[in-house]
Amino acid sequence: MIEVKSLTKVFRKPIRGRGVLGMLKTLFSRKYKEIRAVDDVSFDIGEGEIVGYIGSNGAGKSTTIKMMCGILTPTSGKVLVNGREPYVKRKVVAKEIGVVFGQKTQLWWDIPLIESFKVLKEIYQVSEEDYKSRMEFLSSVLGIDEFLTQPVRTLSLGQRMRADLAASMLHNPKILFLDEPTIGMDVLVKEKIRQAIHALNAKYHTTVVLTTHDMVDIENLCSRIIMIEKGKIIYDGPLGDIKHRFGNIKTLTLTIPANINPQEVKPYSEEVDLITEKDKVMLRFDADKVKLEDVVQYAFSNYQAIDMKISDISIEDVVKKILAQQEEEKHAKEI
Amino acid sequence: MLKKYKPFLRASAMDLMAYKFNILIWVIVTIFEVVCLIFLWLAVYSSSEGGMDASINGFTYKEMIAYVVLTTVFGFVTFNNDTMWHINQDIIKGTIGNYVIKPISYRGKFVASNLGSFLMMGLLFGLPLYGISLGVLIGIGFLPIVSVWDFIAHIGLFLVSSVLACLLNDTIAYLFGILCFYTSSAWGLNSLKTTVISFLSGALLPLAFFSPIFRDIVGYMPFAGMSQNPILILMMKYDYWQSLKVILISLAWLIILELFVKLLFSHAIKKVTVQGG
Amino acid sequence: MHYVKLYFTCIKRSIISRLEYKKDTIISILSFLFSNACSLCSIYFILQAIPSLKGYSIAEVGFFYGFSMLPIALDHLFSDEFWLVAYRRVQLGDMDMHFLRPVPVIFQMFAETFQPDGFGEVIVGVTMMIVCGINLEATITFGAVFVLIIGAIFGAVIITSFKIIFSSLAFIFKRSGPLLQIIYNFTSYAKYPISIYPKFIRIILIFVLPFGLFVSLPINTLLYGSYNPYLLSLWIAGVAIIFFALSVFIWTRCEKRYESTGS
Repeated sequence: MIEVKSLTKVFRKPIRGRGVLGMLKTLFSRKYKEIRAVDDVSFDIGEGEIVGYIGSNGAGKSTTIKMMCGILTPTSGKVLVNGREPYVKRKVVAKEIGVVFGQKTQLWWDIPLIESFKVLKEIYQVSEEDYKSRMEFLSSVLGIDEFLTQPVRTLSLGQRMRADLAASMLHNPKILFLDEPTIGMDVLVKEKIRQAIHALNAKYHTTVVLTTHDMVDIENLCSRIIMIEKGKIIYDGPLGDIKHRFGNIKTLTLTIPANINPQEVKPYSEEVDLITEKDKVMLRFDADKVKLEDVVQYAFSNYQAIDMKISDISIEDVVKKILAQQEEEKHAKEI
Repeated sequence: MLKKYKPFLRASAMDLMAYKFNILIWVIVTIFEVVCLIFLWLAVYSSSEGGMDASINGFTYKEMIAYVVLTTVFGFVTFNNDTMWHINQDIIKGTIGNYVIKPISYRGKFVASNLGSFLMMGLLFGLPLYGISLGVLIGIGFLPIVSVWDFIAHIGLFLVSSVLACLLNDTIAYLFGILCFYTSSAWGLNSLKTTVISFLSGALLPLAFFSPIFRDIVGYMPFAGMSQNPILILMMKYDYWQSLKVILISLAWLIILELFVKLLFSHAIKKVTVQGG
Repeated sequence: MHYVKLYFTCIKRSIISRLEYKKDTIISILSFLFSNACSLCSIYFILQAIPSLKGYSIAEVGFFYGFSMLPIALDHLFSDEFWLVAYRRVQLGDMDMHFLRPVPVIFQMFAETFQPDGFGEVIVGVTMMIVCGINLEATITFGAVFVLIIGAIFGAVIITSFKIIFSSLAFIFKRSGPLLQIIYNFTSYAKYPISIYPKFIRIILIFVLPFGLFVSLPINTLLYGSYNPYLLSLWIAGVAIIFFALSVFIWTRCEKRYESTGS
């Protein structure tokens, strides 16, 4: 369905000189700094897959997505969507894909939602019957009929995302690109969006590529993940592998009083990593191996914590761990 | 191996060329525009009853050409602010609410940055451009110099009124920027601002051409100080008393507008914080 | 056919959007009236000081002015979105939605805004042509009227082409608004009879920045029968089509440079 072959995108940002002299210089000669946002990336995605394309901020996720849907033209390498290059055959490919950006709506800001749909129906040449049946299905899954007559600018973030999802599905695309579809939403709304994505995938067998920051999104939605860091792919494989490698890692963050020196407290066991900051102590452990309640109890009795927070592993942590592991493997090979 | 980098090299070379091309078009088109304007005025003077020697509304054709050239340079050096655009962006993104909390004044930020860019434009482009255009105008006798000291004094007065013009322009841009709180987009307001300023400041046509009552009214508005008055001071069409008078008028307007803008801003920002941006 | 239907659907949408902002509409009408009043006053103030402008009477210059508003108005009606492209949309990376649709981006730009303000200019222009035209001593021939209509329509195409060319430069420079503005300003030199300028300016205004072509030459044909109206029509239409094709070519080359992210 999607083939990506040594895809590379280089952005050039002008270097601005400092002060008056710098301004004068840039006026006559302008120098550029090259940023390789995506660097020699290759992968294939099959029909009906739900793939999580993940990485930390600025890793090159959005840039890749934008090349896959034809907004950006790659510097070198290529993307084939259903056998065609989207940035060359933009008009043909556009009919086969649906795109949702979490931070930029593609609906017209000032007009009632239903009017946007009517224009989109015309743009994608959707027949009257198809339009009706799809709207019916989309309303039932996404619940958009509650705000169909409101202008988009008055919608909440969650409503807007549902509206955007519906708009992107109106022409029944074979592939759906979702860039941070749950960003900035609360847990309940996130859950609703996830269910909707599942329903769409099940009903139309739509291939879904999504980028996200949220580990829960990935666990609930994706069967496969592709991980990117600094423009390069560092992992591509089933979600199960990652879970297996990093297990059910949790971090317990404690705020401790100034009179406690964390170095003096005896570590709980070897299976709990201890990280200390100024007035914070972080205990990282695998909840499948060590019982959460034991760690909490231990921490409270030893550190006299003022405040505490339990968090799941973040994408950034996973990225760091994978990079560290790869470094180790490389090292091992060299020896 | 090197082949891999060829597309990048070519692209960056093209960018550099494109950037220079941009500046080049700008310069050529601006010069061409001034030339067109000069010939338009020559056509007007040669069609007048007195022929080329006529003085129309107190301007000979030589003075009119000097006026056109200096007004173009003046506009280029003095009016470079993006104040309205920035305010509009802050309103759209909702970041304007942050300035209520921040210790720096929102107004002060713009004044500082615009005075900074005015100074820089003045040094980088103003000095050579004024130098060349004054040199040529004096050289071909379009701008007669009777006494050098007198001329230098007028240059001093011109600098003062230039700074005032820059500040007035910034204040009015700020005023229109705040009006964006009350309308939803800046588009209409911006074009209104541009036409009001270019017409009433005498940048299109010296106010002396306006009908008498209209001219007197406009003369006491803040706009004349934004383009016409500094130019006429530089051209020594105003004596010391007149120069001082127009400078004081500008100063008075600056104070009045500054106070007004302050009141308006506090009213507008309340609107935003109540609505939650 | 699909595009015609789509265009009207989009235009309807644009008008609905426009009605959402009543204050803006009032301001833009005010600004329009004010700017036209200003430029009319400027011309009037200049002309009242002289008996005629190089042989052209006040009525004739007024007729030039009125007619020159027609191509400007037509351009204004259909291609206002390009100003936004040049000034901000590319810079803010706010055009992604258009790149995702199975329709050429440039078509979407035309379909994005329909600017009814242009009708105001049509009304002012036609009124001035009638008021000043009554005082003209010209025999109205079919050919002259024909060339005027061609001049207005294809003049608009020429103005629009320049707008497209200079707004597509925004894809390279991020912001090309000021450059577009100074080029567009030359439409105001088209308001005067071209013969008041010396030869080299005339050549530039006819061949390079052809804003003198579609106003002056048709009116001179009406007033003095200076040119064969049909050949002139053919020429104007030909130039317009060449510039338009060139502008579309430049746009489609430049749009590949779109970077999407704001700066």
